[in-house]
Amino acid sequence: MKPFSKKKSLETTNEFNQVIVGNSLTKDAWRRLKKNKMAVLSVIIVSIYILLAALAPILPIYPYDEIILDHQHLKPSFTKSSGELLLEKRMADLFTQAWRQGRLELTPEEDDMLWAWIDKSEANKVWEYMFQRGSEMVEAGAYTFSSAEQRNLDNLAKKLKTDLQITVNRVWHTVEETGEKENVEKLPVDQIVALYAHMIGSTVEIEQEQYMREIAQQRLKIIQTQNAEMSAEDHQLLLATEMDTMSEREKDRLVKENVMAKIKTRAKEIANTDLKAAAGDESATFPLNKEIAIQDTLSADIKATKMHDRRYYLGTDHQGRDMLSRIIYGGQVSIAIGFIGTITSVFIGIILGSLAGYLGGKVDYFIMRVVDIMYGLPYMLLVIIAMAIFGRNILNLFFALAIISWLTISRMVRGQIMSLKNQEFIEAARSMGAPTWRIIFRHLVPNSLSVIIVFSTLRIPSFIMTESFLSFLGLGVQAPYASWGSLVGDAVGGMTLYPWKLFFPAATMTIFLFAMNFLGDGLRDAFDPQSKNQL
Amino acid sequence: MTKYIIRRLLGIIPTLLVIITISFFIVRVAPGGPFDGERALPEVVKRNIEAKYHMNDPLIVQYGRYMFDVLRGDLGPSYRYKDHDVNFYIFQSLPNSMILGVIAISISILFGITSGMLAAVRQNTWVDYLSMALAVIGISVPLFVIGPVLQYIFAMKLQWLPTSGWFTAGGGIKTIILPALTLAFADFATIARLTRSSMLETLRSDYIRTAKAKGMKSSAIIFKHSMKGAMLPIVSYLGPAFAGIITGSVVVEQVFRIPGLGKFFVQSSFNRDYTLIVGVVIVYSVILVIMNFIVDIVYSLLDPRITYK
Amino acid sequence: MSIAKAQKTYTHLLEVNGLKTYFKTDAGIVKAVDGISFTLDQGETLGIVGESGSGKSVTNLSIMRLIQSPPGKIVDGEILFEGEDILKLSESELRHIRGNEISMIFQDPMTSLNPFLRISTQMIETIRLHQDVTRKEALAKSIEMLKLVGIPAAEERIHNYPHQFSGGMRQRVMIAMALSCEAKILIADEPTTALDVTIQAQILELIQDLSKKLNTAVILITHDLGVVAGMCDTVCVMYAGKIVEKAKTHDLYAKPSHPYTFGLIQSVPRLDKAQDGKLFSIEGQPPNVIDLPPCCPFHPRCHKVMDICRTQYPPTKDLGNGHEVSCWLFADKKEHSHE
Repeated sequence: MKPFSKKKSLETTNEFNQVIVGNSLTKDAWRRLKKNKMAVLSVIIVSIYILLAALAPILPIYPYDEIILDHQHLKPSFTKSSGELLLEKRMADLFTQAWRQGRLELTPEEDDMLWAWIDKSEANKVWEYMFQRGSEMVEAGAYTFSSAEQRNLDNLAKKLKTDLQITVNRVWHTVEETGEKENVEKLPVDQIVALYAHMIGSTVEIEQEQYMREIAQQRLKIIQTQNAEMSAEDHQLLLATEMDTMSEREKDRLVKENVMAKIKTRAKEIANTDLKAAAGDESATFPLNKEIAIQDTLSADIKATKMHDRRYYLGTDHQGRDMLSRIIYGGQVSIAIGFIGTITSVFIGIILGSLAGYLGGKVDYFIMRVVDIMYGLPYMLLVIIAMAIFGRNILNLFFALAIISWLTISRMVRGQIMSLKNQEFIEAARSMGAPTWRIIFRHLVPNSLSVIIVFSTLRIPSFIMTESFLSFLGLGVQAPYASWGSLVGDAVGGMTLYPWKLFFPAATMTIFLFAMNFLGDGLRDAFDPQSKNQL
Repeated sequence: MTKYIIRRLLGIIPTLLVIITISFFIVRVAPGGPFDGERALPEVVKRNIEAKYHMNDPLIVQYGRYMFDVLRGDLGPSYRYKDHDVNFYIFQSLPNSMILGVIAISISILFGITSGMLAAVRQNTWVDYLSMALAVIGISVPLFVIGPVLQYIFAMKLQWLPTSGWFTAGGGIKTIILPALTLAFADFATIARLTRSSMLETLRSDYIRTAKAKGMKSSAIIFKHSMKGAMLPIVSYLGPAFAGIITGSVVVEQVFRIPGLGKFFVQSSFNRDYTLIVGVVIVYSVILVIMNFIVDIVYSLLDPRITYK
Repeated sequence: MSIAKAQKTYTHLLEVNGLKTYFKTDAGIVKAVDGISFTLDQGETLGIVGESGSGKSVTNLSIMRLIQSPPGKIVDGEILFEGEDILKLSESELRHIRGNEISMIFQDPMTSLNPFLRISTQMIETIRLHQDVTRKEALAKSIEMLKLVGIPAAEERIHNYPHQFSGGMRQRVMIAMALSCEAKILIADEPTTALDVTIQAQILELIQDLSKKLNTAVILITHDLGVVAGMCDTVCVMYAGKIVEKAKTHDLYAKPSHPYTFGLIQSVPRLDKAQDGKLFSIEGQPPNVIDLPPCCPFHPRCHKVMDICRTQYPPTKDLGNGHEVSCWLFADKKEHSHE
């Protein structure tokens, strides 16, 4: 083993250099990490991901939950706006129709090829080809649209030009006496209802009753989707229970949400009719920010954009939501779960592991038996049950994951501490009368930190995997929220027709996991050079 | 040795009891059960249902009864399906999952060990880089991405294999290949990495140097002197590997539409069919516990230093 | 091959000439062994002494070509065993020498035996590797060897696993295994460092007795000068990858010439000489052997240091009777003037 003992002498005194460099373990590890190109690249990638996820709200991207049904399943494109893509799609449809009706003639080879694609249900290829070929033929004068087709296209083009996407940022109420403006959203619920009742010329009583009915209907819909297999009577029963037990605050919240949505819808309608003419006019500039009057004292700040000017660099999903922003927001959820989950489980693991390792005896026995038994459990399945039973929300997910993932880390910390606790520096601390907690958390834990850091880094990807695994099964994050897992889960069904829906989230996630794994490996090699076969 | 096995077997019992107990209480504390809304049911109907599922007994009696039933091998009636009880559904789907799992774990062990050994012996050559690149993919890419990607390539593009289906449902033996490969991938990766690092460590150990100094051929050194020691970490990984296979099969069965226990499990957890969920978990746990037991025994057989105290 | 060798004439059983073994590390090239030469004759016992890191073990691993590569590499020199250069042998020829002609025992008997195989398996395989005998014959031979090294109840114990033996017993097993093929050279790499003091003497005595009995040449690597005095015919003192002094044991002790050797001998506590309450010690640490400047590596610690020591490595001077030393104190005047 002599060649390896040389390694140590590197860090010791060297008379010939005349300088004595004392390197701490972390400094040394950091030096080694910087030499590892993959690890450095991984650090950069992970930083970019974290930055994007953290800055998501202020990035110039579309809202991740904005549904535009016109924009369902648009393919990713850097050069074309959604309007152009829709027009292309329509033209492709018309060409295909014409081809099948024999009005548009292609060579027999082309016919065969197209039929082969249709047999394999590769609709995308057919459309693409037909659009390409059809456009060429129109250009060359070999095919002209029939008048009906031309009208169809013109109508679509007009609609694409004038359709507006209006977002209501704020609704204002002007107090008549003072002329001051109030943000309606911040008013008490009764007042909002009164304002709305006034707006549509109804009374508060009628409206309130109406809302409760609407809320009940909404709840019923949710109950129906969650318990699809139950009978209609059961649904009614569930609903009744739920409405009975609902707190006043919850009711108020729901009423407020509903009324605000209605006021906003009204504002949108007004803005739409007001601005429609302007949209057709080339000189008008969009996006447009404006305050419009709704009625009497109500007004709203709106932002109007041309809906079909939107560009979807990564395409859209089945509800016309922007994949790019869904992936970024999904990343927010996935990364947050990875990091917070790891921190929580490491925290629990350190506390229990160090207690078991340091105190020993009965405490150790008890904690380790619990760990042993929990190791024997198929814990993923327990998490699935917990999610199924306690409801599928992010908080439950955190909770379920954290309580099952402290096992390994606690075992590791325990082992580390058991080997450290009999060393001289601990004896020294003890002989100086340091209290137990101080010995554990000031002396023992910091000395096992390198092991903990390495483990935690490798833990993050496995946490993200677990989360995405649950979300894939539909037991994790619920719509309208997204996570990488749920995005992939949603995409698997239609992967032949809409491959981008699968590809982008899967690739995004995989790159992140790659980077985290490389980083973890790099850290391990840096902290424990013996583990690598290089001197 | 026999004593050791018996002692280990007895050690399994508390684990299983804990699993059943946890499962039982999770179901009981669940807010909003399958009969939520009973309050408004006609008294007679409600009493009938409660009587059928023994829900009006004290909790401890219910627990005792459930324990007794489970120990007899009866997992109780399904809350959702009226035709059969839980046992029926589980034993209908269990064989499919077992076949898939056994094939997958065999593939991952076989290929994992082979490529890990090759990587270690030919360290820093293309063999090493290739197998470690594959292993990193296996560790980083989730099952539910690998599955669809394999489907896309081999079933849709190349059309070599069927997209989904199962041989018992008349899909032919080819239907097993893609799901088994998908399921094997993650464990293959871990086993390959483990084998490589433990093989490298063994090859650097003093006793391998002794063997070299004795003039042994490198092939003999690898197979006779290194294998046993290098295999120990892999054997102890097999416990977690089985757990991974079980969890993984839940996803794989979903992706490839295999009528196995995992797919059933997901469905029943959506349906909130608690007895069925708990039944599946108990079956999985029993399998897992037995596998861990076997792994322990194999480990102690491999390592002469372990004494059966 | 053996016929070809028989016809060859050679003066020494083993002759090492200008051996250089370097290791590539992150920090630079470690010149673990940097141009050393020595010879070994039939039945002779050679001691190699030095601090840890001085290159003793690397020298002997190089002789067996057991250097891990990468990072290690034998970059220059020749190792002539019975006149044939080991460094030029093919893998299979090398295997014929390892364990058969030259065998080795290592520092730590606890880890040097394969813990997963029975002693019998490991011994039988060694014998059958080099001799055309049946398993039974090999087993009998193994038991005989175990008896020779003093393992009680060898017939039964041979079927045990290594962990069932104590450290001293394991080292005996290692010796038995190393000598089972009647090797011509036995390299013992600090064979007693890991053992209890009482066992150390027994093991050394065993090595001495057996080498006499079997007429085996021994290279004994140690940092213990007392061991060298008792066992070796010749001694090489190594420092920072180089042999600084080489002499018959008696000469070395009578007239230690290199200041380092002098210091080493002085630092051994002795009962027969009055001590003024303080042990002699060499100040400082051995140098890092990465990128050494062309100077005497011992100069920072040397109490007789001269200007020239800081800039040039001293030539090797023969003081007569094979006593060689590399130190400017003994260099001729004209060599000094090279400066």
